[in-house]
Amino acid sequence: MTALKEELFGKLSDAIVDMEEDEVVALSNKVVDEGIDAYEAIDKGLSHGMERAGKLFDEEEYFIPELLMCSDAMYAGLDVLKPHIKIDDKEEKKKVVIGVIEGDTHDIGKNLVKIMLETSGFEVYDLGRDIPPKLFIEKAKEVKADIIALSTLMTTTMDGMANVINSLKEENIRNNFKVIIGGGPISQSFADKIGADGYSVNAAEAVRLVNRLVTVNV
Amino acid sequence: MSNVLVKLEVTSLERVALALQFKKADRVPAAPLFCGASHRVLGITYDKWSTDSELAVKSLLASQKLIGFDAFVTLVDLSVEAADFGQEVIFPKNSTAYPNFNNQYIKTADEYDKIKKINPRETKRMKSVIDICSGLAKAKGNEVAILGFLYGPLGVLSQIRGHKELFKDLIRHPKEVLQAIEIITEVLIEYAVAQIEAGAHSVCIDPLYSSPTVLSKSGNGVYFEEVIKWINPVAISVAHPAYGCKSWEEHEQKWGKKIVTIGYSHPSNTGLIWSEDEIIEDCRKQIELFKNNDSGFILSTGCEFPPNGNLISAAAMVKAAKIYGAYNV
Repeated sequence: MTALKEELFGKLSDAIVDMEEDEVVALSNKVVDEGIDAYEAIDKGLSHGMERAGKLFDEEEYFIPELLMCSDAMYAGLDVLKPHIKIDDKEEKKKVVIGVIEGDTHDIGKNLVKIMLETSGFEVYDLGRDIPPKLFIEKAKEVKADIIALSTLMTTTMDGMANVINSLKEENIRNNFKVIIGGGPISQSFADKIGADGYSVNAAEAVRLVNRLVTVNV
Repeated sequence: MSNVLVKLEVTSLERVALALQFKKADRVPAAPLFCGASHRVLGITYDKWSTDSELAVKSLLASQKLIGFDAFVTLVDLSVEAADFGQEVIFPKNSTAYPNFNNQYIKTADEYDKIKKINPRETKRMKSVIDICSGLAKAKGNEVAILGFLYGPLGVLSQIRGHKELFKDLIRHPKEVLQAIEIITEVLIEYAVAQIEAGAHSVCIDPLYSSPTVLSKSGNGVYFEEVIKWINPVAISVAHPAYGCKSWEEHEQKWGKKIVTIGYSHPSNTGLIWSEDEIIEDCRKQIELFKNNDSGFILSTGCEFPPNGNLISAAAMVKAAKIYGAYNV
């Protein structure tokens, strides 16, 4: 790696950790101007910074506000760099379809899981919040997802998670996807009850769970 | 914990009041935070229950008669206060009301000054909760504990600004956030006073965002201890062991003699998944941990009993308190 590349990637990583969105955009533009490989900059700069932020979150040095700001900085950098990725560099990633179940609009937890999964190298399709079961299934089929991740904070919408799994069974495609669930009222007992493939108590654990599930799936 | 002589017929109010003073009545009180679920006891829709204080009072009274819990909690939903500050709220027919997150009252960090001081007694939704306190007090105020409820200031503001944006504003625009928080806090103090004046025996404050996963520890202080220091509650309702405690045993040892623990049945496991026997066994473990160590305890769910939960499951908690919570005084 040239000294300039090394310096820019290090600065990108630091700017993510420092939540400096404008700095990330400026550095990303410099990467493009210097003709440096955009994919490498994402991997060794932006993702590296988010990995560090995720670790700080895990160690309780960073908290949700800090992590959200780091991710904003990361997405701002991605907006600059993504159009410059060479087609050959676009490696096949494991795919996750994620969203908040119909009737619920609380999405902080879902967003954290999304950020952590993207940082860990997954391709995440975020459907947003208040999503009907059939939309999860349609998107999962469309993108040939490996994982469907369902979130809710409310007990009144938990049944929607079971509806997704039941619909997959009705279509005889249950085995095509691993289904994971999470959110404030969710428990392992509930996951067992509805036949989900996994439950995680927080975002970091969700990444470990998804990694386990896609490894088993290979 | 001191032993006191009690008359044979102990009311729920006495049971709760004594527990909050680390004194023994006849048994451990049971208060499964049975709030929104009460709409199903009278067979009314959730939106009507949320907006009609008379119906809410009737529902809560019928629920207490049916289930026998020792305390009413006047939690309607977490958007009550936000609505009165100007936030649009959606009232689903069969679920808890929530803010329209696509139409936040505060849309940018420049708009925190839209928060103005209001009198909760002259509002729509907070006044409705005050009326619920009043209605319950008139009907059962001498027999059953009435625990008022309010959402903490940061929680209220999150409903008005949106959680994600507020979290980021805490770092980017702390001064603006703080100005709004100070106004909201003044209103909430008045709101608490109004609930007490209406007949509530105490008020529960939900400081959801003082969770250690949301806000960083400051200086050398552990955040949980800061909450205890500043709010100075007689009891804490908990879903998880207090910050810094790895288990309920540790929680009991550290806090059991300092503060009454209200908790900590898993709401959805209790209301939606477990059998009656499983619920009673779970409650037994909680009761015995605190009771056998003479620590302050009220049996409850760690959060609101699921509005769509099995009513028999709430009754199972009361049953557990009667079987395993009796004191030999």
